[in-house]
Amino acid sequence: MKLEVRNIRKSFGGNQVLKGITLTAESGKACGLLGRNGAGKTTSIRILMNVFPCDSGEVLLDGKPIDYNTIRFGYLPEERGLYPKKKIAEQLVYFAELKGMTHRAASASVDFWLDRLGMTEHKNKRLDTLSKGNQQKIQLITALAHDPQIVILDEPFSGLDPVNAMLLKDIVKEQIKKGKIVLLSSHQMNYIEEFCDNIAILNQGSIALSGDLNTIRRNYPRNRLVVRSEQKDSIRQFFGAACTEQENNTLLITLHSPEEKQDVMQCLTEKFDIDEIKVFEPSLNDIFVEYAGDQDKEENA
Amino acid sequence: MKQFSKIFKFELKNYLTNKIFVGVTLVLVVLIAGVMFFPRVREALRSTEPSASDSPSSADAATETDEASTMLLVCGEEEKALLKDPFAAAFPDYNIVFSDDGIEEIKRRITAQEADCAFVFDGLTSYTYYVDNLSLYDNNIGIADSVLQNVYQVRAMLNGGMTAQQVQDALSVVIEHEAHSLGKDQAKNFFYTYIMIFALYTVIILYGQMIATNVATEKSSRAMELLITSANPVSMMFGKVLASCCAGLIQLIAVFGSSLIFFHMNQSYWFDNEMVSSLFGIPVNLFVYMLIFFTLGFFIYAFLFGAIGSTASKLEDINTSLMPITLLFVFAFMVVMFSMSSGNVDTLLMKVCSFIPFTSSMAMFTRLAMSTVPMYEVLISIAILMVSVVGIGVVSAKIYRVGVLLYGTPPKLGAILKAIRKS
Repeated sequence: MKLEVRNIRKSFGGNQVLKGITLTAESGKACGLLGRNGAGKTTSIRILMNVFPCDSGEVLLDGKPIDYNTIRFGYLPEERGLYPKKKIAEQLVYFAELKGMTHRAASASVDFWLDRLGMTEHKNKRLDTLSKGNQQKIQLITALAHDPQIVILDEPFSGLDPVNAMLLKDIVKEQIKKGKIVLLSSHQMNYIEEFCDNIAILNQGSIALSGDLNTIRRNYPRNRLVVRSEQKDSIRQFFGAACTEQENNTLLITLHSPEEKQDVMQCLTEKFDIDEIKVFEPSLNDIFVEYAGDQDKEENA
Repeated sequence: MKQFSKIFKFELKNYLTNKIFVGVTLVLVVLIAGVMFFPRVREALRSTEPSASDSPSSADAATETDEASTMLLVCGEEEKALLKDPFAAAFPDYNIVFSDDGIEEIKRRITAQEADCAFVFDGLTSYTYYVDNLSLYDNNIGIADSVLQNVYQVRAMLNGGMTAQQVQDALSVVIEHEAHSLGKDQAKNFFYTYIMIFALYTVIILYGQMIATNVATEKSSRAMELLITSANPVSMMFGKVLASCCAGLIQLIAVFGSSLIFFHMNQSYWFDNEMVSSLFGIPVNLFVYMLIFFTLGFFIYAFLFGAIGSTASKLEDINTSLMPITLLFVFAFMVVMFSMSSGNVDTLLMKVCSFIPFTSSMAMFTRLAMSTVPMYEVLISIAILMVSVVGIGVVSAKIYRVGVLLYGTPPKLGAILKAIRKS
């Protein structure tokens, strides 16, 4: 299955929130939806799920307009919330039934997921008796219990302890392996890097960058070297303004062109005592800051 | 449709498992049982009392006389003879004592609670009445007036040469009368119409508030984020409203049904109470009309309350947002109540109100109960209501769809309408 969002536009009261969003997600792969607060992620997700219509553009599944009656979505909203005063199993079954399951199937599935997340003992408790992290695990069940074809997780890792985060990672990987389309939105770049082959960075309602993460990385000019050495001062003197010190105690040397890198590396190892030297590849964090970070500057301008 | 039935079941279960809902219903049923069984219990107690004290001693009798209220009469010897029997007959609850005390002494005795009241006569046609606190329900003056009039008339007739028998016949002539109401008997219908309108008013306000709070709670707890992506807003709106209507009807059936059962169990004890008997003697066709207008009126307001609840992001905002619709409803209630108590339910205002969907459920029902309304008017009113229910239901679902995703200050009406047109 291939989910395509094509050129979606949406305005609220004269304020254009989405200015032509296009992105693609395939089954068996996860797509990372990135963007700063207010970039239009939630609006895009809501349009994708048919909560409200877009002003123009289309949502396609395998090239055809998506049929919301047959395609099941699983959604973990960023704003968490269920019925705080209701019994956990009762409301989970209700939500699964709303998504089209029979009562029996819904109960069985809810039991399975409660067990999978280690929450069976809380089955008949009221939701508000649980801790925030555990409530989040319960909410995750509402996104997965009805076996959706498309799973959208908005900030799934926020508020989880490392053990629970690990559990959730396994579940997300499982979903990807099962051939589902997984859309992941998060500000924790390390998770996106871990799961997502494709990313889309939204900036002020437009796609600032999208595509295969590895390709994006490779396409960055390979004209920077990261150097770790005890002789930092000498190296900085030698390279002058082209060499800057980074936060993690390494030096970043910017070359005139990528072709120089072999010579410079050789030169460095000959002249100085070098512990480590490699071509700089941007982290997702760097890419994000570069593409999504100019929002304020533009706004100020 | 499947979603609708799931939502309906879930919401109805919420009501039926709600402790307050169940508690209030049970308390009401118990209260009604208390009222309905009261005459039977009182009678049972009364019939056991004499057996407990088979031979009341003379001391008991004395206390009893002491306990009866004392009425003092101050008059001349001639009046004493004339007034003694008529006053004793007219005031059976009083222990009538003739006194020769002066005004000041009479006043003192009344203030000291030795006597309850006193009539100080100045001839047969003039008197002064003394009482400690003049009660709202004190009609002694009226009774005394008619006794005195009667005494005066008898004396005048006797003096005019009539025999005692003639006087007796003249004064006790019985007028036979019969009233044929060709339409409705307002006096008879007033009580149950009043009860029905009041029940309609209470149920709509209570359940309307519950629906609005329910929606706003879902919104403020952010369960809405999930609901709105799981279910169609029209199903959600209709599911919620129908469930609350059902819960309301269940409550009403529990209350009215149990009172009907209790009434039949104690019917013989209520035989002489016309008010209560008329309430349970409501004609079947009127009862059916009541159900129709009740349900349709309930829907109109329930949809509006639900839609307004969806525009409030916090529970605190609800009351302010609901104000206009509550005022509209209170206005409808007032119009109906005033025209009911004025006795004329066919005023122009009432006629107009019985075709406006926001007021017609109460206005038309009142007219049906207390006056004669042409069938075509009733049908038109019901048709307008039905169309309005569907229309308001769909519009409310649209407001709901837009409203539930708006957080922050409640949106202005114009903004909502614009958003609806777009969606």
